[in-house]
Amino acid sequence: MKHTLKYFFSICLIFCFLAAAAQEKPAPKNTTNSEGILPEAAVSKAAVKTASSVVDSIPVKTDRYGLRVGIDVFRLARGLYDKDYKGIEVVGDYRLTKKYFLAAELGNENKTTDDDRLNFTSKGSYLKVGFDYNAYENWLDMENVISIGMRYGFSTFSQDLNSFKIYNANPYFGEKPAYPSTERYSGLSASWIEVVAGIKAKVFNNVFMGFSLRLNQLVTNKKPENFDNLYIPGFNKTYDGTFGVGFNYTVSYFIPIYKKKIKLAPIAKKEAPKK
Amino acid sequence: MKKTFLFLLVFACSLSSCEKDDICDANTSTTPRLVISFYDVNNASVAKSVTDLTIIGEGMTEGITFSGSTLINGNTVSIPLQTDVDATTFRFILNFGNTNPAAVNEDIVRLNYTRKNEFVSRACGFKTTYLLDPVTPFVHTDGATANGKWINTIAVKNSTIETENETHLEIFF
Repeated sequence: MKHTLKYFFSICLIFCFLAAAAQEKPAPKNTTNSEGILPEAAVSKAAVKTASSVVDSIPVKTDRYGLRVGIDVFRLARGLYDKDYKGIEVVGDYRLTKKYFLAAELGNENKTTDDDRLNFTSKGSYLKVGFDYNAYENWLDMENVISIGMRYGFSTFSQDLNSFKIYNANPYFGEKPAYPSTERYSGLSASWIEVVAGIKAKVFNNVFMGFSLRLNQLVTNKKPENFDNLYIPGFNKTYDGTFGVGFNYTVSYFIPIYKKKIKLAPIAKKEAPKK
Repeated sequence: MKKTFLFLLVFACSLSSCEKDDICDANTSTTPRLVISFYDVNNASVAKSVTDLTIIGEGMTEGITFSGSTLINGNTVSIPLQTDVDATTFRFILNFGNTNPAAVNEDIVRLNYTRKNEFVSRACGFKTTYLLDPVTPFVHTDGATANGKWINTIAVKNSTIETENETHLEIFF
């Protein structure tokens, strides 16, 4: 039963985290309501009393700190069904404080884009480093994450132009077929800022599943002569030159390193001035 | 925090639906045509209009459409060059379809050039720009019927063909 609930909650988290987040509030609300009935002097006393009794009766709550490493399943899976794509992304984060995580992604992509007028292959590696802020207040010993964060991404790559079409607004001599090309634009690089919104849910023991959505804005972009960086590994397709969106779906494993006790005293203190 | 979150999610979702259509904008400068201006041979600075001029490309049966018609009446015309070979031959037929066969006169002009393919954008792909051959930019001969050339002189004004905003070739007749 406990396990069923765990799974159920994890799935809820993944698919409708907003609903899960909504359930977060009521708990503290009820306590404040009931306490509101008591006269002021009694409240502070009662709060201290309950706080101490809580510490006594309930086993000490601890937060686990450590390293979480994982892999982007979406990129791997895409390599299986999309013959024009091969990619791998390793993700990792390290819990710095209760709310902040140091996060990074390292990946390699090889993608052939077949547009109406162009066919080109982008190959390269990328690294993204940044942080995640966990906005989710966990119950008991749960370790789910609903985060917002930022990354600085850097990619070095090359582009092979495979074929192209000449745009002719006056096709009197007829539309010509695509020209084959063996042009290679190498030594290209780009860097960008990402805003990341993500979720990680603990499915069992130390295994987490999660996904994240990313909005990217290019900062630097070393373009080749007579071509453009239309797809940047890690950044994805470039829209209007500098804008991009990203996505990943990760399965990761948490390696606990140390534990920290959660102090309950600050909670009691916090409640007192509210009255 | 949650509001930011919701906003980001909605924003990210909306992006997928407002993806720019990959259609080449008509205002984009793409493969240019060769711009020819016609002048009076007796007074080189005065533009002269041609009457019912039809320009037919090599291996084609239809004339080039300019300003919605294959019969050109005016002192300027733009014609497309072939993008896959370094020369294009045109038949310049004056008074095309005229009932009086004596009025119809055909000249053949072969244009020699080098090509360069330049990247435009994802939607447009590449464009071709041309450079008229510096030694023999054109070869001017009479048509099938030996009735003399109606074109007196051809002069190169701009040998680089990158835009349609300027005259590349001047024809005096």
